[in-house]
Amino acid sequence: MLDDYLKANLASWDEAVGAHLDSQLYAVAGFKAGKTSLHQIEIDELGPLVGEGTTLLHLQCHFGLDTLSWARQGATVTGVDFSGEGIAAARSLAEELGLTQRATFVQSDVYHLRKVLDGRFDVVFTSWGVLLWLGDLARWAQVVAHFLKPGGVFYIAEFHPYAFLLADDSTPDSLRIGYPYFMYGAPQRFDEPGDYAEPDARFEHTVTYEWSHGLAEIVDPLLRNGLRLDFLHEFPYTLEGLPFPFLEMGADGHQRVKGRPDFPLSFSLKMTKEG
Amino acid sequence: MSDESAGAAGPGRAEAAAGPDPIPAEARAANLKLWNAWSRIHEHAPGYNTAGFLNGETSLKPVELEELGPFVHEGTTLLHLQCHFGLDTLSWARLGADVVGLDLSDEAVSLARRLAGEAGLSARAEFVCSDLYDADAHLGDRLFDVVFVNWGAIEWLPDLERWAAIVARHLRPGGTFYMAEIHPFAQTLDDAAAEGELRVRYRYFPAPDEPDIDAVDGSYADRDADTTGLVAYCWSHSFAEILGALTGAGLRLEQFHEFPFAPAPLWEWTLEEDHLFWLPDGTGGRRKDQPLTFTLRAIKPAT
Repeated sequence: MLDDYLKANLASWDEAVGAHLDSQLYAVAGFKAGKTSLHQIEIDELGPLVGEGTTLLHLQCHFGLDTLSWARQGATVTGVDFSGEGIAAARSLAEELGLTQRATFVQSDVYHLRKVLDGRFDVVFTSWGVLLWLGDLARWAQVVAHFLKPGGVFYIAEFHPYAFLLADDSTPDSLRIGYPYFMYGAPQRFDEPGDYAEPDARFEHTVTYEWSHGLAEIVDPLLRNGLRLDFLHEFPYTLEGLPFPFLEMGADGHQRVKGRPDFPLSFSLKMTKEG
Repeated sequence: MSDESAGAAGPGRAEAAAGPDPIPAEARAANLKLWNAWSRIHEHAPGYNTAGFLNGETSLKPVELEELGPFVHEGTTLLHLQCHFGLDTLSWARLGADVVGLDLSDEAVSLARRLAGEAGLSARAEFVCSDLYDADAHLGDRLFDVVFVNWGAIEWLPDLERWAAIVARHLRPGGTFYMAEIHPFAQTLDDAAAEGELRVRYRYFPAPDEPDIDAVDGSYADRDADTTGLVAYCWSHSFAEILGALTGAGLRLEQFHEFPFAPAPLWEWTLEEDHLFWLPDGTGGRRKDQPLTFTLRAIKPAT
């Protein structure tokens, strides 16, 4: 069953890569010209731990912009994604930017990564719209812990589980809960022509399966795998791109809930593997 | 950003543990009056089943027994902060613990002492009347194997850094902190909404200087109780704030769980089964997709 979901999601992601390379959201030209694709949150919270020679594993890296941005900061990076199209695009970007010495890309889904990748890393990094593609965070947490050196750091910046709860027709006067927080392993099926980066696109592979995960469902398995909580932060905005009608983009480039600028929409989490 | 990322550890934490009481005088007076009134009401309230307790039933929820039970043995010392009139405190004593319950309400503490006597537990149960933030003045440097907090406690506190400092100060090295609480997201929902309707009404992020001040209508344990004229001052708390306060006080998080049931009827239309309260699914069953409760277990590292 999990494999069927994975297959549908993979077809969708493989198809999306081409469109994303040309999308405004991903701004590939700016990145090639030297701009980082990382957000201020990641730079502020993880940046101080990433320096020359830091080994960094980026899970669910899509076509590698963030991975390569960390490489530009001096890290030796390994990006992993289940999409062959994503990995091919990432490799060609690394080539074009002269970063192949310090950037490796591996095609694999998260769950099976241990079969195809050796080594331990100083940092395991993942961000923005990754967890909804995973049905089994207990297995995910094992993989995260496996690839961390003792004393190594796991960092994630992600949409808050609460961001996915509000009904589509929520208004400032009525923010209704319309979606589940707990899903007990069974995904929701979506069938939409475009996606978050290219809402007007008309893709061929339009069916996706997505999971919501509670904060405890994210943190607890990491604790059980020997990671120590350093911090959990929550933010009342997203940095870009959730296509929900009840959100509005502010002048600061942050998306907030209309009429409720204090509603939590993002979180970041830093944990350290016990040495 | 840092003003919004509540819970970040940072300089000034140690100093924050000292200083004047963070609860304004009018809030303290109102909440004390409310809890004294609720103590009189709750002794015989349907939501508390004091008679059942005196007959030998535990007042603890299955989740508390399952998650903290393995850490409570004969002779375990346990501090229960904000213990109300002590049923849960005394339930741990019945399981062998030597307990200290602390509560701001003098009427609650008197009732707790009387019930300890009636239950034959006075030898292993002590009750202290104290504001949470004055706990050190009463507990001195006493250390406990377990510090326990449950159900509707932290909403009465504006400052969780000082709360967590008190928790940490009274845990022995290697000791266990456990809390079972109403979910912060459930606390944001409109408690007056129509049946089955979940709608965000209250703030999520902490605002220590902006308590929610509400006229009290009955009690969570007895909706029909007369509470005319009583007012509650409560404060919102986020997960980032709760976890940041505990880790900032030196505790190490061991377990974090969320559940789709509540300890009390957060809405008057919730379903009660086995002393737990569930959202209705509209067809007579329980709805299990929304978080109403969370639990945390942390330890104070031995070194």
